[in-house]
Amino acid sequence: MILPISDFNGKNLVNFGTNKKEENNVSYDHDTLLKNNFVTRTRIGLDKFTKAFTLYPAKGIAGSKNSNFYEFLTMGTVPYVVGSITLMSIFNSTNKHFNPFDNKNAAKLGNKMALGVILYAAFKSISKLFTTVPVKMATGIDTELPYAKVNYLLQENPDDYNNLTSIEYHKVGESVDFPRWDQLYGDPKKGEPINFRYDKIAKKNGLGTNLNDSDQDVKPMYKEVLVKSKLAKSISSFLWAATGVALAFQTPWEDYFNVATLKFWKPKEFGHSLKVLGKSFVESVKELWHGDKESLSKINKHSGKVMICTAAAATILGVLNTIHITKKPASYHSVLDKNKESVVS
Amino acid sequence: MRTSNLIQSYISNNPATQQYNAEKAVKDFDVNKELLNRTFIKPLPSNGKLLRPSLFDLPSEFRKDVMYDLRALKHAAKGEANDHELGRLNDVGMKMGGLAIAAYLFTKKQTPMTKIFEFIGLGTFFAAMDLWPKLFIQLPAYLIHGVNVRQQYEDSFGRKKMFYQDHQFIPWDLYSEQEINSIGDRLNVPKDIPNRREFIQEKMRKIALQNNTLWMLTAGFATPVMSALMCNLLEKPVSNYLSKVKSQKADNLMSNFTDEIKKYKFDDNAKHLESLLQVHTGKPITPELYKEISANITEGLDYMIAHGINKDLEQMMPTESKYTLAPENLAKIQQTIQNAYSKIGLTPEELAKLVPDDNSIINALNERSLLNGDFKDFSEHSKVLQDLLDSRIVELEKTNHPLIKKIIFARTKLVHQPEIGKDSALFKSFKQTSATILTEDMAQALREISATMNSFKAGNIVLEKYTHLKVAQAPETEFADAWNEATKKIFKSLNFTPEEIKKGRFDREIAGAVFREKLEKVVSDPKSYATFMDEMEKTLSTLHSKISKIDITQDASRSQYITHVDNTFQYAVDGLKKHGMKNAVDSLIGYGSDAKTSAKGLMFDFISDRSLGIKSSFYRLLNMVDLYHRISMVENIQGALTEKMPREIKEECAELAKSLMMEAHSSDYAVKFWQKRNPAPNLGDYSQIESSKGKVVNRYFGKTPASGLAELSNDREYFKAVMKLMFQEDLHKDTLDKIGSSGFLEDFKKYRNQVFEILGGDQYFIKPNHIVGAAPKESTSLLRFLLMGSASDEMAFKHFNQVFNSKKWFNMFGKVGAGLAGATILSQFFFGHMKKVTPKQAKEVK
Repeated sequence: MILPISDFNGKNLVNFGTNKKEENNVSYDHDTLLKNNFVTRTRIGLDKFTKAFTLYPAKGIAGSKNSNFYEFLTMGTVPYVVGSITLMSIFNSTNKHFNPFDNKNAAKLGNKMALGVILYAAFKSISKLFTTVPVKMATGIDTELPYAKVNYLLQENPDDYNNLTSIEYHKVGESVDFPRWDQLYGDPKKGEPINFRYDKIAKKNGLGTNLNDSDQDVKPMYKEVLVKSKLAKSISSFLWAATGVALAFQTPWEDYFNVATLKFWKPKEFGHSLKVLGKSFVESVKELWHGDKESLSKINKHSGKVMICTAAAATILGVLNTIHITKKPASYHSVLDKNKESVVS
Repeated sequence: MRTSNLIQSYISNNPATQQYNAEKAVKDFDVNKELLNRTFIKPLPSNGKLLRPSLFDLPSEFRKDVMYDLRALKHAAKGEANDHELGRLNDVGMKMGGLAIAAYLFTKKQTPMTKIFEFIGLGTFFAAMDLWPKLFIQLPAYLIHGVNVRQQYEDSFGRKKMFYQDHQFIPWDLYSEQEINSIGDRLNVPKDIPNRREFIQEKMRKIALQNNTLWMLTAGFATPVMSALMCNLLEKPVSNYLSKVKSQKADNLMSNFTDEIKKYKFDDNAKHLESLLQVHTGKPITPELYKEISANITEGLDYMIAHGINKDLEQMMPTESKYTLAPENLAKIQQTIQNAYSKIGLTPEELAKLVPDDNSIINALNERSLLNGDFKDFSEHSKVLQDLLDSRIVELEKTNHPLIKKIIFARTKLVHQPEIGKDSALFKSFKQTSATILTEDMAQALREISATMNSFKAGNIVLEKYTHLKVAQAPETEFADAWNEATKKIFKSLNFTPEEIKKGRFDREIAGAVFREKLEKVVSDPKSYATFMDEMEKTLSTLHSKISKIDITQDASRSQYITHVDNTFQYAVDGLKKHGMKNAVDSLIGYGSDAKTSAKGLMFDFISDRSLGIKSSFYRLLNMVDLYHRISMVENIQGALTEKMPREIKEECAELAKSLMMEAHSSDYAVKFWQKRNPAPNLGDYSQIESSKGKVVNRYFGKTPASGLAELSNDREYFKAVMKLMFQEDLHKDTLDKIGSSGFLEDFKKYRNQVFEILGGDQYFIKPNHIVGAAPKESTSLLRFLLMGSASDEMAFKHFNQVFNSKKWFNMFGKVGAGLAGATILSQFFFGHMKKVTPKQAKEVK
């Protein structure tokens, strides 16, 4: 979001903060921590998605001075989405030209391929929750905590005095080298204790309460959790995505493809289609797990189980490794040897 | 105070508080000036460098990358990785996921080609991801502008990064003045402008940004399309390679037969049998034990052999003909009676009176000689006990027992009731103990039989693997590959236009019409016929030599397969004969010397049937081409279309022969053809048929209205004439010119003769005289089916569909790919434009 520079002259400043009312306003005059909830995530997702297809490519193709790495990374959505559609098209778009028999056979495989593309993305996205949720529950650290960053722009030309800020949506732990610690501090002007977020994490991890410098104690732990959870997500999410593709290749989906419709204005057909979708999903999961019962090959029988178990094991190991924090500060008792005499002058 | 003393002592001794006297102080160094200007705060000297790896560096770069990733994984697992390492691990995760998909789909696919293409697909996808920006972004940009927009550099910490990754932080200092100026020259930046380096850098940045954006916008289309096109192009070489590998693999199975069969062990099977034998030796053979033993020995064998073995084992271990009375039966009988009466409220004393004791039962059975010996069943025993029970009930009845009605009612449940049709509880209380005992000798015989059959199974598995790889009617076998190759070559040489292919793919009748039209055109011109026959001769020679190598009927003396089949079956037969297993032996090698009805016969028939089917299909095609040419030239048809045959019938006959060769199945021959003809043909014209442009110029055929036509089932001479026209007339000299010296000529002639005699000699009960010879010829329906092979119009139909489908896909996505590549390259000519700065302008600005 590019804001008019006049918004930054001090007169029309809105007092942006982290309360609900202010968060719903999409304009910010300083970097602002946001709540990690469904509404915020959706809003950020839509904002990034829209700009990835419109504003950022326009700036990039024009060679704008203000294009940056954030915009480049956000544009990564474009090949993902376009590539998925192209893949689906490759598997299906020529089928209609084939004779009915070939069309039927090609469509059977093509539909599974297309579903595979969809389930790849869905499983990859959803599986990240398998790591972030238990990690947050166990450590109190939200590795996906977002904040809005106000970005100050360069003039594109000497007459350009407008639109010199833009908003970027980052995550506090986006960079493990430079986490935005400042975003985790409370605002004393609002009556928030400066370290209240760090205090919570410290308490959750057994460092005690009323710590003088909870932020200093928590930061190494926070960083460790960030690194380990990123590793867990990187490995497990792609394995879950692969499981999604494997699921798409099960035979019960063919029942769904026979009745699939998106014509929601025909409630009877659409409802039936959804019902078969659910049933096909359940049956496909069973088939993936049990494999080809009639096959003599052990690989055919157990490959689905191996797939699911590998993904699950990667998630479990990743989460266990993440919540096993090694960088907790040494406690007072463990530093001092009680058996030795000490003098405090 | 002690505290203040300590502090004072610290201050007085702290070296930091002492005046530092540098021995070599910088001349004229003014600390205040330096502090004011901050000039002494300089960045650390950069150790970064631009990377310009050559092709030869790729292996070492790959190794470095792998080592880096492994270190990154170690650091990340400990929670100590940095952003760059985590970014690399994300790519590792993506590749792992890709491999997992390919590995899973690999297990789901059936054939080597489809299996291997799961990995090739993955590889090409990642390759396309990498190649697209290199070939269509980086290379054109470099050629057009002289700027490497995907320049990589290594930072001071040895991390590889893209130079233009973040446009707000480009490490320009890695480019020397000379390099930048040289790029500036290539970009036509005037040499004498102020801040030339900054201007060039800005232009480079702009070009890189525009190209990176273009990459993001095009990669989504380009990567899948490029990957699919790469797969498409790789299909043929991979198929050829796999074909060779499979053939070699199959040949190795025969060359190393002894080692190959050792790979198949049946240890679990043998162990299970041994445990059964150890437990049950010396004990009666129950039906359950028999089933377990026979299932163990016959596991994995086909039904025919298993059935033979079962029949022999039944004779060796009879379980259902004789039973003995087991000692525990006595207690069980008493318990059954007691259970029936304990519910009706009898006292223990009364119950004791009712339930017969041991002696009573033994005496009663002994009196009827039912105590010792073998029995077919225990119905007599049950009757004796029933009588015994009845006599005791009668005794109780005499005492006017209050529960007598209940006692009598309970008795009816115990004894046999034919109207209900169930065996009585009393009858069931006899445990059926087989009279046949599993002796030590029998156990040893079973061990030997099992060992023989396990060895046979191993040999059979290897032989079946060989035949599958070579000839099975499945995708990607050697025969299937040979068929596909031959079909493609023959149809390709006919040069069907895209329109003809598009039209012919709809259905086999249209395909047949398109094929016929094309063929008539080709055969009408001796030159084009010669060219086509050349191609056909080459293709059929190749096919014939490939089939001959596999087909044991062609050269039995050289076939290792025959030797191994003989040895494998003989070994099993010898082993089974020792134990008198006649039925099993018969199922393996057949009755007497006739192996045709045996499992061994099938091992040979499978191969010869498949090769006959394939050869027949192509010989039929060749015969059709020759027939069309003979009719077109009106040569070598006079033997069938004789002077005594009216012209109208000749025309009907020629049309039927052409249609049959194109589309008939063996069933059409079985019913002696079916054609609506003119029952009253013109008998005034006996001239020969005429042709033009490959087609018969019909003077009469097709002129009579359909309502005037009929099927003439009594015209047996017509059937003979059609058969003769197709299969007995001499081949045309133009055909012989081309195939006269071919290795398959004799085989082809033999085929024509076989079809004429066997299909023509097959008797149909509705038209018994429609045979070509003096007497009917006996043959199996399978042989007749194999001799007909595939109908030519069906071959064309499949070919048209294959070509259309793959061309349609290639046309559509090839065009998309080419269009995208063109647009991507073209758009780069418009990149990097900036306002030109001339020295004059620069001066004015100053």
